[in-house]
Amino acid sequence: MRPKAIRVALGAMLAAIMLTAAFASTASAAPAWKFEGKALEGTETILGGAEKSGLSMWGMTTTCDNFLYEVDIKNEAGTGKGGVTSLPLFNCYTNSTCTVEAIEAETFPWPAELKTVSTSNYLVIKNVDVWILYGGWFCPLWGVWAHVTGTAGGLIDNATETATFNPSSFKATGTELEALGESVEWNGKFPTEAFEWHRNQALSVS
Amino acid sequence: MAPKPGAKRLLNKPAKATSAGVFLALVLAALMLLGCGGGSSDSSSSGSTAAETAGDAGGTGGTGGASSANGMTSGANGAEKGTGSGRPSAGSSANGDQPSAGSKHGPRVAQPKGEPEPGITQQQRQEATVASMTLESPSSQASSAGPQALPATYTCDGKGTSPALRWQGVPQGTAELVIFTMNVQPVEGKLFFDWAVAGLSPDLTEVEAGKLPRGAILGRNGFGKAGYEVCPPSGAETYMFTVFALPRKLSPSQGFDPSALRKEVLNISGNVGLLALSYTRG
Repeated sequence: MRPKAIRVALGAMLAAIMLTAAFASTASAAPAWKFEGKALEGTETILGGAEKSGLSMWGMTTTCDNFLYEVDIKNEAGTGKGGVTSLPLFNCYTNSTCTVEAIEAETFPWPAELKTVSTSNYLVIKNVDVWILYGGWFCPLWGVWAHVTGTAGGLIDNATETATFNPSSFKATGTELEALGESVEWNGKFPTEAFEWHRNQALSVS
Repeated sequence: MAPKPGAKRLLNKPAKATSAGVFLALVLAALMLLGCGGGSSDSSSSGSTAAETAGDAGGTGGTGGASSANGMTSGANGAEKGTGSGRPSAGSSANGDQPSAGSKHGPRVAQPKGEPEPGITQQQRQEATVASMTLESPSSQASSAGPQALPATYTCDGKGTSPALRWQGVPQGTAELVIFTMNVQPVEGKLFFDWAVAGLSPDLTEVEAGKLPRGAILGRNGFGKAGYEVCPPSGAETYMFTVFALPRKLSPSQGFDPSALRKEVLNISGNVGLLALSYTRG
């Protein structure tokens, strides 16, 4: 009986060691913000900007010719975090008879974090809060507030220094935007660059 | 919230700001050289200040401006790189913390054209209709993507009866409910009504498929008939079902013009429930 007890104890210890190792490797594998290959220390402000990015709902797409987001980023315990602090939108229109009377993002900052799914890294933005007011006599949504809320996940590509938001990136990160009771699709490829301490430096996530 | 430096750089117009900044920097530098006698002990800080001024001005210049600012100031930002604790310091060396390795990188975010979309005005906040009511259809079917599906039986490919609708959240003080169903995409450039029903009691919380309660008033749909009809030519179409809560009765006559009633409804109603259903034909 005694040797069996020892075997059980040894097995438990081995399992504990393996679990610890697994957690440690997970922790070390958490994606972090890097500039020129070195992990960011302190904070930085990055800007993602797409030339044409669209929000689709109700069979209608609202496109903005320039769709920007500004994120204050930092690494916390080795993991990339951040907060979206502004979202200026330029020249927005729809592919229907609706005009965009007003569009405004609110309640900043929106928390953001880096996440690895399989072997890909994603920027996940939470608490998205955008109000859109459509106009136009022939617009079925005329005069009605469309309140876009939820979480958005965008695929990060280190080679092109872009974040791409599309249905695939939403599916991979389990994120969803919603407005007027319907799911909202966000499509856009956002080249990203630093604007404070690391201007002109290569931005990567790993 | 105060605009952030990054956004400032990108949002403002580059050319004028940059040239103004250069001019200002030159003037300041000239004044300092003349006024301070060009003392060597101050020259580096003077240079830094001038460069910073130029840098700031250039920095307000959008992506292009930021780019030129980088080249122009050559580290005048004095960025305490990586510390995250401070802003560009006034006394830092003009060549101090330039991200030298980054010269291979130019600006990647495109310079926006024009001005940002206007924010929401107080008047718009007050006047716009809020989707505060929930609207659903027990007749609809799940869809793999996009809005739920409208089964064929509720179109001209089937019986053509109206689907069942159920709603919640009718505000207190509502005098009448009105239903509109419209194509999301216009038909021949105009809003197309598939169904318009007025005169519904505020106590009502649903309508059954193919039925309407007593007192319901039917408007003329896009096909010219007083009733429900969904019949797209081909392909996919999304239909928007809406139920508006009216604070006073409008009570139009049978066969009313839905376009005219909708205008009145939008003028007085602050609450709506919306539901999108899609149908693909052929």
